[in-house]
Amino acid sequence: MMLLLRELKIMLRSPAGAIQSLMFAVLVITLFPLAITPDPDQLEPLGIGLIWVVMLLSCLLAADKSLASDYADGSLEQMVLSHYPLWWVCLVKSMAHWVSCALPLLLMAPVLGAMLAMTSENIVWLMASLVLGSPILSLFCILGAMLTVGLNQSSALLPILIAPFLVPTLILGTQWATTGGEAFYGYMLAALLCLSLVTLPFATAIVAKIAVSR
Amino acid sequence: MLQIESLSCFRQDRYLFKDLNATALPGQALQIVGENGSGKTTLFKILAGLFEDYDGRVITEDKAAILYLGHRYAVNDQLTPIENLKFLLKLNEIQLTPALLTAALARFQLSAELDQPCSALSEGQKKRVALARLILTSARIWLLDEAFSALDAPGRSVLSEVCQAHLASGGILIFSSHQGIPEFASATQLRLKAES
Repeated sequence: MMLLLRELKIMLRSPAGAIQSLMFAVLVITLFPLAITPDPDQLEPLGIGLIWVVMLLSCLLAADKSLASDYADGSLEQMVLSHYPLWWVCLVKSMAHWVSCALPLLLMAPVLGAMLAMTSENIVWLMASLVLGSPILSLFCILGAMLTVGLNQSSALLPILIAPFLVPTLILGTQWATTGGEAFYGYMLAALLCLSLVTLPFATAIVAKIAVSR
Repeated sequence: MLQIESLSCFRQDRYLFKDLNATALPGQALQIVGENGSGKTTLFKILAGLFEDYDGRVITEDKAAILYLGHRYAVNDQLTPIENLKFLLKLNEIQLTPALLTAALARFQLSAELDQPCSALSEGQKKRVALARLILTSARIWLLDEAFSALDAPGRSVLSEVCQAHLASGGILIFSSHQGIPEFASATQLRLKAES
């Protein structure tokens, strides 16, 4: 709990990162109709996929920053040495990443959906799929960030390394929302979330040990 | 007690050090001596348990009894000195009243800056925030990698007082320093030589 409070406190005092990923999302959704077409009939079917892609990209963009300062100032070393289980530290990092970049976008989704002329029913399914899917993105992003933290070109390496693992989530999430909640996709997405929750923090913990010994 | 038995570390195509042996008993100080790049920091990381790629043995009773303070001393820029200190102590399961935290920081001459984020502090002041942890910790083995650098003369003397009190109460101190510390001139020295 204390670890989570610390993360939130640090985030609130330097909100630039959270604002940046939200700005990125809003800008893409604003510019898209201007560049392609303002016609609601053509925009409507694109909405779900577009917002999902924006969510995925803004999570990836924020990933390397979420561990950089803890690595640089040595906090990560101290957390590894602490009495807290390391998987819990990694899970907290993922939660903080989710709160700072997925949650604002999730809350903005109705507005972004309206800007793309989506129907209210589609917006509801979009949000449901994001609620289930975005934590998976955060868990993978923190794994990638831990793999590349402290390396010279980490921000270039991270997307190449992690993006392939995000594709199943993207497919299941968008399919679930566009089919209006077909059970198969929903179950698969929920199963993927459970699987990620119980495995990825442990994988990240192993990587963290390697990261601090570099 | 902390015992190092025929410790060797091979890194980047050469032995950083080979067949190190040393023992530190309660109340003893051990100084790690060596040039830049001779592997002092790696040795500290091995002793702390951060780096596991070595040969030989490091024997301690309890890993939780170790407090490691490295070059990077885990002071977050967004948090205030009090919040940083509280966090660092909680990592070792120590919960304290604000009065004790303030007192520890005051010992290191930090009292005017307590409600500012640490980004407003100088490098030496940030180091003092990290060092204030030594006053309150219950760890018996202190690993201080270059703890005396970046401190002014009053800061150094407070730190050496704190360390002497730790030794007097039966603690173990392992430190490295490029400047001579007169108070610890009699400490056992462990010299690291680069192997060719």
